[in-house]
Amino acid sequence: MTTQTITRMQAAGPPRRLSRFGQWADRHFKWLLVAPAVLLILALSIYPLLFSLVVSFINYDFQVPGHAFVGLKNFERVVFDPVARWSLFLTAWLSAISVAIEFVLGLLVALTMVKSFPGRGVIMSILIVPLFISPVIVGQAWTLLLQRPFGPTNYLLTQLLGQEVTIGWMTERPWLYISLIVADVWQWTPFMFVILLAGLTAIPPNLYEAAELDGVSAWQAFWAITLPHLAPMMLLALTFRLLDAIRMFDTIFIMTGGGPGTQTYTASYYLYTVGFTQFHLSQATAGSWLFLIFTAFVVTLLVRRLLKTEPV
Amino acid sequence: MATTAPVRRRKRRSVPIGRILLLGFFLIFVLWPLYWMFNTSIKPSDDYLTVPPVWFPAHPTLVHYEAALFTYRGLDGLINSLIISLSATVLSALLGTLMAYSLARYDTGGKHLSFWVLSQRFLPPIGIVLPVFLIYRQVGLYDTHVGLIIAYTVFTLPVSVWMMFAYFRGMPKSMEEAALVDGCTRWEAFWRVAVPLAAPGIVAAAVFAFIACWTEFFFALILTSRTAFTLPTVFRAFIGFQGAQYGEAAALAIVSLVPSIALGVLAQRHLVRGLTLGAVRG
Repeated sequence: MTTQTITRMQAAGPPRRLSRFGQWADRHFKWLLVAPAVLLILALSIYPLLFSLVVSFINYDFQVPGHAFVGLKNFERVVFDPVARWSLFLTAWLSAISVAIEFVLGLLVALTMVKSFPGRGVIMSILIVPLFISPVIVGQAWTLLLQRPFGPTNYLLTQLLGQEVTIGWMTERPWLYISLIVADVWQWTPFMFVILLAGLTAIPPNLYEAAELDGVSAWQAFWAITLPHLAPMMLLALTFRLLDAIRMFDTIFIMTGGGPGTQTYTASYYLYTVGFTQFHLSQATAGSWLFLIFTAFVVTLLVRRLLKTEPV
Repeated sequence: MATTAPVRRRKRRSVPIGRILLLGFFLIFVLWPLYWMFNTSIKPSDDYLTVPPVWFPAHPTLVHYEAALFTYRGLDGLINSLIISLSATVLSALLGTLMAYSLARYDTGGKHLSFWVLSQRFLPPIGIVLPVFLIYRQVGLYDTHVGLIIAYTVFTLPVSVWMMFAYFRGMPKSMEEAALVDGCTRWEAFWRVAVPLAAPGIVAAAVFAFIACWTEFFFALILTSRTAFTLPTVFRAFIGFQGAQYGEAAALAIVSLVPSIALGVLAQRHLVRGLTLGAVRG
């Protein structure tokens, strides 16, 4: 901080030939460049957040007229709503399980793809395809595969296992959770895979050569070389993925619609239904503030660690 | 390179069966839903419920595409998606590049400003979209193209800024410094020298912004209705499957995923940077 280097770019004075406005613009150049983006974010992200803070303390309900101050009542409604607690619980579990599976599977696939082999480029292009598909379509695709009576999954399982399989993939516990997790894993394992592969290829190969000379087994090399070198990248991939996973909404909207009942309500889905199908807007904003605080907690926890370990 | 290195006895491994199996299974896992969707989209409705299922339709048909595009207004959604995604992409790339340049070359606002932008990326959309919905209804931006374009610009800005930030940081600044010494204004050094050099990075950032807009559902679901609805929101019509609209849903999905996949695969060299907001060089 104290010895902040001033580069030549920052030190350069404005050229003489400019008008007075030009001189002013040149002097404040760096602020003029950030201004449009910052103003836009302020207008559409920070202002709405502050506005919603106000809304969460007043009555803002399409079914109840008036905007009276109600104190913490909206927050109470959310906190004491068993569905809200269930949805937060489900969000935590679904995202933890999905991200764990994606991580392990992504790492395994990345390990198979480190060395080059014929056809690697084509396979790479195929493996990343799910990343470019709307989650809505992913939900749709798995619905087509799983939904009775149309989907072929039960038929295939019947053939494979040799006995009649009649699973309601989108309606029966625990299968509906498995369906949602499979769809999430399908879409996001490539995310883990791509980042971990980048980390793996960045490990200097001579480390492995030296290890091989010393007679170290492949398994030992994995623990002693791969894992420590990959750790920052793993943390980065997990952090990014987890922060997206806890927003899970689109696939649920398409596949189960939160149901049956409220069995597949995630936090986002719960807040959506409270706000947009029941029109308790102030209750929903109060809930979304609580969810925001929850997310911020997760973010600071994870990103702090990430910044400490990461000199990528 | 290592011509002088001592020749090492390499263990010639036999065929790595485990790896091939794992990769094979994963490839099938990735391709299977896509194949089934395509299969469904060209299958006549009579083939829907047969046992065993029809794996290869004998009489492929395009009727589902026609119905999806016209009966279910898929074409309107497609056009809206194109207008909105392209506009937001251009805006996001432009504003993102401006801001990223300032952050990268002038350390504007120190670490705080750049991390403040990054933190926007991790805000849960539900926290933003509720108040934005209320504000949009008041100012008349609800269900308009402009409204969604602004929302998408803001929502893709963190990625654009951080990708371009990393790109500018990776570029030597000697050229711009030389331009300044030669009497260019800072704007000229930026616009005439740095931007042309950064063009590949700007294109890559724009591609990922476009894909993000094209596939976005949540904002579109809440901020649009009958006028500015985008392609992903059209799928609401197929939820529940009361009728037999499997083919229409599949056809619309195929239409919608082709552009984003094509762009994504073309830009895959920049994928790692896109996914990690420039934190990792791919």
